[in-house]
Amino acid sequence: MSLNIENVEKQYKILATGTLINALNGVTISLENGQTLGIVGESGCGKSTLARVISGLEKPTVGKITWEGGEIADKAKNHLRPLRSRVQLVFQDPYSSLDPRQQIGAAISEVLTVHKLVSKNSVQTRVEELLSIVGLTSDLKNRYPHQLSGGQRQRVSIARALASEPDLLILDEPVSALDVSVRAEVMNLLIDLRAKYGLTYIFISHDLAMVRYVSDVIAVMYLGKIVEFGSWDQIIERPLHPYTRALIAAMPDHSIIGNPETLSKTLQGEVPDPANLPTGCAFHARCPIAVSECSTRVPHLLEISPKHYVACPEVSK
Amino acid sequence: MSTSLLSVENLAISTIQDPRILINDVTFEIHEGEAVGVVGESGSGKTLTALSILGLLPRGVAVTEGSIKYDGIDLNSISPEEIRKIRGSDISMVYQDPMTALNPVMKLGKQLREVIESHEKVDSNTDQRVRDALMEVGIPDVARAMESYPHEFSGGMRQRVMIAMALILSPKLLIADEPTTALDVTIQQQILALVAEERRKRNMSMLWITHDLGVVANLVDRLIVMYAGRIVEAGTVKEIFANPQHPYTYGLLSSLPTTADKDRKRLTSIAGVPQKPWLVGQSCSFAPRCFKATPECSNTIPQLVGTLEKSVSCFHPIEATK
Amino acid sequence: MARKEARTKGGLHYYLQSTSGIIGAILVFVMVIGALCSAFGWLPHDPLNQNVNDILKGPSGKFWFGTDQFGRDIFSRTLDGLRRSLTVSVVAVSIAAFVGVTLGILGGYLGRWFDMLITRLSDVIFAFPAILLALAIVSSLGNSWVDTALSIAIVYTPIFIRVARGPVLAVKEMDYIKVSRILGYSSPRILIKHILPNVTAPIVVQTALSLSWAILTESGLSFLGLGTQPPDASLGLMVSDAQSLAAFAWWTLLFPSLFITIVVVGLNLVGDGLRDAWDPARRSS
Repeated sequence: MSLNIENVEKQYKILATGTLINALNGVTISLENGQTLGIVGESGCGKSTLARVISGLEKPTVGKITWEGGEIADKAKNHLRPLRSRVQLVFQDPYSSLDPRQQIGAAISEVLTVHKLVSKNSVQTRVEELLSIVGLTSDLKNRYPHQLSGGQRQRVSIARALASEPDLLILDEPVSALDVSVRAEVMNLLIDLRAKYGLTYIFISHDLAMVRYVSDVIAVMYLGKIVEFGSWDQIIERPLHPYTRALIAAMPDHSIIGNPETLSKTLQGEVPDPANLPTGCAFHARCPIAVSECSTRVPHLLEISPKHYVACPEVSK
Repeated sequence: MSTSLLSVENLAISTIQDPRILINDVTFEIHEGEAVGVVGESGSGKTLTALSILGLLPRGVAVTEGSIKYDGIDLNSISPEEIRKIRGSDISMVYQDPMTALNPVMKLGKQLREVIESHEKVDSNTDQRVRDALMEVGIPDVARAMESYPHEFSGGMRQRVMIAMALILSPKLLIADEPTTALDVTIQQQILALVAEERRKRNMSMLWITHDLGVVANLVDRLIVMYAGRIVEAGTVKEIFANPQHPYTYGLLSSLPTTADKDRKRLTSIAGVPQKPWLVGQSCSFAPRCFKATPECSNTIPQLVGTLEKSVSCFHPIEATK
Repeated sequence: MARKEARTKGGLHYYLQSTSGIIGAILVFVMVIGALCSAFGWLPHDPLNQNVNDILKGPSGKFWFGTDQFGRDIFSRTLDGLRRSLTVSVVAVSIAAFVGVTLGILGGYLGRWFDMLITRLSDVIFAFPAILLALAIVSSLGNSWVDTALSIAIVYTPIFIRVARGPVLAVKEMDYIKVSRILGYSSPRILIKHILPNVTAPIVVQTALSLSWAILTESGLSFLGLGTQPPDASLGLMVSDAQSLAAFAWWTLLFPSLFITIVVVGLNLVGDGLRDAWDPARRSS
């Protein structure tokens, strides 16, 4: 019931040239409370745009996004504030996510003060509480971001997001910019927090393995549309859309060793320009099973098996 | 046993002013036709190792110990002019960011010509060689590409051009520093396939630097794992992935999920953050984060012990299970 | 990339390491003392007082910088003119800074047509050479010191718009600003608490530099006969008068020009020192 994204489109207009960039071309998703939605895709698929639109940073050009019935849109900001704090976003870059001039304790307490979430006397206690929830010691309160490691900074960003007591947390590539040996710790933290607080997550990444590890349902996006949607095991065990299959085949996999074949089934071509969308199915030019109709016919998501949707008529035959 | 092409022995690199050790006691070999991967995180020293081979260390950083021998010649002791001759023609390099590695104001055709011009005499064949090189790396519409600028191409295409530039003089050794890290996964696969094919065709040696274990799994023959400026484990790719003996390698492999995992078991994490090489001192570089560490580990530097197939630098290596 | 922010205490520490900054500060300090003396009337002679018997006398115990063609004490007139120049400049730059920084920040933050309007406007003003524009404005406004200050303010507003706008544009795209918006922070809070601090350092540097240019402009205007009118003392006017006298009364030219130079160079050096203190990218270390 909770999150409903209905036919959302988002276009950006470049003022100088008048070109229209089609970042989102009709996205519809429903998410239940407590579920984790994983969104996977490559550049130009629109996953980060979707994150911005769901969080209310930007308004969709077409379509509606509602959270528990209330519409999230960039309108009257004042009445928006209560809704806004219930949907939070954690960004990829731990360096630019924190104000370099603000001590991290202050960054977290600012959230509490602005939203009057605790009494003045309890602010510092709550800050220390939040820091310990994300695995940081309270002596870091007075440090500046540049004095912390990337992993610690990401934890601060998570603590700050949690401070506003959100129901929905959008995580846009939360570990991609971190050192490899640090990623598992932050991932496990996110999983523990979810269990403890019953949070709903939207986990966005280009790393299908990470997405699968943490998600209940996965949406595969290509050029502003969802091409396949299903549970975490359906998508990996029985990928149906040719793009999903190509993505899985392309994922570097250290459990398959010494098999040069993995490099042979490559997907040809490149992602088309979002300012110049192809006709029909956006994937048809690169698709190994495309037929002539694919260049004129726009595919829609069809339910192939229970709760498993694919936007490819060729597959549903 | 194929001949040794590149031999690095006890290499140490430090900053010059305010001396800080960045790499310590690095020893490895690359044979003819062999591909070696170097895996490590930030601060591991993998990029500096690659740069030092071609004498491209940044200002303020220098080799303080050890030798780098290419075909028997110590690259540290020859003149700059002689190194220049080797660069591009014997040993070539491909970088991570093609946008900064390619000259943004020079047409691509001209940049490729320049590689040839700086090493050989230009003749009537040169243009054709350039066109062939672009075609070989899969650039469509070569004629147009010759007249284009880097910004007109996508990241994947620019990377192909960089590879063309690196291969045009048929080097014996190709050094690649994370050339696919910034690319989309499907484009990365294309580039890796291209590189693997070129390597096979030319029987070329390769040194591939990356932080991504998955990328090297099917690309290289042997692997070197670096941590905080030291080699912690080395050996064939099969051996290392099947029997990781160093706790760092082992920890890394268990902390990364793959799509081939049968179930979603909890990832085991490695506590702490990557160590800075100059703070290691007389100790195993991984000791502070190691679940097997004993007091001995913090007092003595472990040596790299083993064979070409597998060697580990650890006082308590994990038992081989297979 | 994380920037190591030098907080005020740290900034002062760095400033004191800059030789040019220290020299500049001393020069400016001396000049300000001189101007204050004039403001409080602590001058050896009345700047307007003409001594018929002491026309064009060289420097002496009585008249430290000598006298001019009307027998007026050049030392007192120099300090008085300095006071005028500094007053006009400080007022002018204050107006320019206030208006310019406000417009720059708003333009950078709000963007779109508002930003375009402001930048085009400032481009137009920028296109004119400073002195010419100041000349044109002053001749249409009037000769009072307020008119002079206003014309200089108009001429120097665009640079403040530009200097304030740059950091705002850079910071606006940072993730932590986006986070602030998602956290529901009001725009005024974001502007003042998170964006403005990035602007203060360049603005302070620019203020010092603009003050030096403003003094030069004011001197230039009065040299040309606009701005301060006789018999009031003005450094530019004194230099203008000295043109015909310098051949046989070198003191009439030397001292006013010297003071203009000292205050302009001093302020420039202070600007350099501030830039070194607050802009880590420019530090030589």
